[in-house]
Amino acid sequence: MENKGLRKYSKIVAIAVIILVAASFGFKITGEHSLDSNSNPIIEKSKAENNDTSIEKTFDINNVLNEKSSMPIYGNWRNFTSKNGLPGDKAYCVRIDGERVLVGTHEGLAVYENEKWRTYTTKDGLAHNGVLAIDVSEQTGDVWLGTMGGLTRWSTGKFENFTQMNSGMPNDLIYSVICDGKKVWVATGGGAGQYDTHTKRWEIFTEQNAPMHEPWTYGVCSGDGKIFIAAWGGGVVEYTKKTKQFRDYIDPDGNMEIDLFPDDGVVHDITTGVSWADDYLWVATYFGLSRYDGVHWKGYFDHDSGLASNFINFVKAEGSVAFMCTDKGLSSTDGNNWITYTKNDTNKNGKAIITEGTKKTELAMTPSISHNFVIGVDVKDDVIWVATSKGVSRGELLK
Amino acid sequence: MKKSKILIIFGVIFVLGLIVYFPGRKAARSHVNYITAVDDHPLSCTSCHVYTSQNKWVSKMVNEDYYSPFNMVVSNDGSRLYVIAQDINELMVVDTENENVLNKINVGVHPHSVILNKSGKIAYVSNEWSDNVSVIDLVSSKVIDTLKTGNGPAGLALSSNEQFLYVVNVFGSDLSVIDLSTKEEIKRLTTGNNPTGTALSPDGKVLYVTSRRANMVPYGEPLISDLTIINDSTKTVAKYLGIESAYMMENVAFTPSGDLAMTTLIRPKNLITSIQVERGWMMNHGIAIIEQKEEGRVVQLLLDEPNAYYSDPFDIVISPDGKKAFVSSSGVDYISVISIDSIRTILAESSPKMLKSFSNNLGISSRFVIKRISTGANPKGLTLSPDGKRLYVAEQLEDKIAVINTESLETIGSINLGGPLRITVARQGRRLFNNAGHTFQNQYACYTCHPDNHEDGLVYNMAGKDMGRNVTNTQSLREIGGTAPFKWNGKNQSVYKQDGMRFSAILTRTEPFNHDDLDALVAYIVTGIKHPPNLMYNPDGELTESQIRGKEIYNRSVDNLGIAIPENNRCITCHPPPLYTDLKMADVSTLSDTDDPILFDTPHLHNIFSSAPYLHDGRAETLEEIWTIYGEDDKHGHVNDLTKMQLNDLIDYLKSLRSPLYDDDKSEVQHGTYIKSN
Repeated sequence: MENKGLRKYSKIVAIAVIILVAASFGFKITGEHSLDSNSNPIIEKSKAENNDTSIEKTFDINNVLNEKSSMPIYGNWRNFTSKNGLPGDKAYCVRIDGERVLVGTHEGLAVYENEKWRTYTTKDGLAHNGVLAIDVSEQTGDVWLGTMGGLTRWSTGKFENFTQMNSGMPNDLIYSVICDGKKVWVATGGGAGQYDTHTKRWEIFTEQNAPMHEPWTYGVCSGDGKIFIAAWGGGVVEYTKKTKQFRDYIDPDGNMEIDLFPDDGVVHDITTGVSWADDYLWVATYFGLSRYDGVHWKGYFDHDSGLASNFINFVKAEGSVAFMCTDKGLSSTDGNNWITYTKNDTNKNGKAIITEGTKKTELAMTPSISHNFVIGVDVKDDVIWVATSKGVSRGELLK
Repeated sequence: MKKSKILIIFGVIFVLGLIVYFPGRKAARSHVNYITAVDDHPLSCTSCHVYTSQNKWVSKMVNEDYYSPFNMVVSNDGSRLYVIAQDINELMVVDTENENVLNKINVGVHPHSVILNKSGKIAYVSNEWSDNVSVIDLVSSKVIDTLKTGNGPAGLALSSNEQFLYVVNVFGSDLSVIDLSTKEEIKRLTTGNNPTGTALSPDGKVLYVTSRRANMVPYGEPLISDLTIINDSTKTVAKYLGIESAYMMENVAFTPSGDLAMTTLIRPKNLITSIQVERGWMMNHGIAIIEQKEEGRVVQLLLDEPNAYYSDPFDIVISPDGKKAFVSSSGVDYISVISIDSIRTILAESSPKMLKSFSNNLGISSRFVIKRISTGANPKGLTLSPDGKRLYVAEQLEDKIAVINTESLETIGSINLGGPLRITVARQGRRLFNNAGHTFQNQYACYTCHPDNHEDGLVYNMAGKDMGRNVTNTQSLREIGGTAPFKWNGKNQSVYKQDGMRFSAILTRTEPFNHDDLDALVAYIVTGIKHPPNLMYNPDGELTESQIRGKEIYNRSVDNLGIAIPENNRCITCHPPPLYTDLKMADVSTLSDTDDPILFDTPHLHNIFSSAPYLHDGRAETLEEIWTIYGEDDKHGHVNDLTKMQLNDLIDYLKSLRSPLYDDDKSEVQHGTYIKSN
């Protein structure tokens, strides 16, 4: 009886020990970094959360992308919300300006410098607290802020506001602003506008004088002697600065929500952002991503690429890589390889999904980006800043 | 002929003469009384019909070509003085030893400033009405290049490495940075409002740019004018330093050690009623001292004394030993000599509260002004000889350069530039216009509120005893001769009335001008003040596509819906060319609660782009606001059917309007006056 009892208890103890060892090992894998956000968050084997057996797991970041890949991987995320300095959680845009970072939030402009945040609002002279777009003039260093209530020039502490009431600016709702030499371009709810800082004169472009479907414009960028405007329902409007002539790029499939004929043009007429770099024009829509090399269009979708979602809020190209802000995370691509950063729904951790052709790899990120609804991004040197609907995130280049 | 017949003929002529003389004289009296608004002005037809004539031949007879020296610089060895002769568009080369003019070099229109490079071989002259800078080889005395600038180039400075030229654009309110190797403008930085003077710090690190106008604020808010501080190495704005309750900062200078920057300024009291002139509370004149260190203080000190104001300080220079500063008080024809050590003592010994109070203290000048040196009419630019022993003073309305010994502080010479010896009626008027001697305590001259004969951008409370309670925007005086009536409510039928008895009763609070002086002042205002060219929006008379569309809107008689616009609500009806005013009164529905109920005088629109703020009380900061914020009822023209693009076109066209004399091939400038060839 005793032997039987001992044998029974020894089995229980053995099973308990096995469970404890397994549990402690599991804790070591998954729990350690959640206690220390400053430790290296990656190079950990992620647990597959689905049954996709094609996703490869690795401990070594050097195994993630091949040697020839130009895709940067960011990690070591630090997140900022209203709890640690931001005036509000909802961040619309972010711009790296030398040693400081400018963040447009729903509650004002937040400036991060020397590890401290400072907020500027209408009380300081801002046109409106909702800051939707930011650019900095390379020539003058002036900061141009597109807000929900006008355009603000912020120059070493001095605010100057342009509105549809006090100037020739088309509309107070400014979704995008860029500095292009002495000109400042805005994409607004009432058309695109061009301000000449030398002559102090505005010029407006709407469906009345440009190939737009309606005056609603979402994005603007410059490149190759041209200005590209993301026009709601009008695809991309191209303005050649030398000739002052317009042409448009619209979806040959019309406004269909599927891309009937692949790579025949911009994937949809409802465009939300444009960005030019390295001779490529990247176009964001709510129905996928397009890339244009001056001759050919290429479409990218969440079902046939590493794109997190077809619902793209904003696109920013830097060198050969484009960064897409979607409702399901931040994606980046060089046209072939993809990296998408997401956050887990239940905790602050997340992952980076690397897609190289058909090969997919997941890396755990602890923590990950602040929120999956990504609205803005900026990249400079080894740092990336991401604006989300719940805070901003700062990542560092890992590879 | 019989003697009796001759007597009869003479008798008839005499009787006819009597018949014509008495009613004629009565009619003339009535006419003169109406024009002058007084009943004792001499019946002198020449006052109005000769001295204000714009006929070519008459103008030639009664006027002269004066030189009007403005700014200047001295050569490295002190032997030459390079003088801007503003009214004849020349740079004059003056021998300082023999005190004679050696050469005259033609430059652009209405030159403003001149500087030399370190070697002293190249001069740069800003041409305010040409939008360029003349580069002059001083060895050959020839213009070797012309550099394009922004609108209204004025103050100049070279970067510390002399590779870049900084040009202050007074009309554009910005600063052009020109790369002298490529001769191209590489960037344009936004400055304060209406900037003019500039100076590079002795260590070459920062450039200061003054501004003459205050930043635009709604009436009732205190004024702030910006000193723009630019980083010489990055060529970006480092800071806008707000100078409170001040404007008209004309020029700036640094002490040789670089511990202080000093700028001239005026402190206007535009928010209190103008009747306060009697209490010494309309305009004060002084300097600001800006400490050049971390958290350095900005202190304002008045140059005025309790019963003697030193109006319209213009230039400031500091002696090489850093002991003295010299300020040209151009409204009273004096140089104020300042002891900088005394200022340092004041700064060291005074609490922040005391320093703040000094900005309104009429007695403080006795602690640092060591001498007032009398000059000829309207001293403007100053320059010191390299050894600092001589101060040269450009006497603008004297056509002379005064020479002052900076040790004895006595005037030791006067260099006659060779201008006309005769002082014409209009010239005398210009002297009066620029001199504060006719105002109580010398508080201000006409020029003070009308700098460059234009307007100062301020709104004043003109309320006075029995004078109503109206807040009014200063009006430009450029080419107003044909635009009577005057004043925002059209109560003054002539410049005579505007500047005669009424002027002394409301503004100067002292004896009115005598008849001769009033004749002279009117002659100058009516004939001697011209608009600058509209190089920003209409340089050559060719309208842009937007301006052409705007002109169609301006001239339209039906709105966008095809509905006829009532004739009295069309732009063209009340603002017809060539003056763009019908000279009549109108109701545009912008009376404020404090206004007397009355109609508005329809203003002319020439160079309207440069006259912000707008409407009679300056409530509209931009032309757009006239129709977006203050035009909701469609009574100031029918505009509410316009799209934003159409409104932009209309405003583009309005900004293109310029003096009609620039469009007239037969017009020319003589004696500082536009005249038409017959």
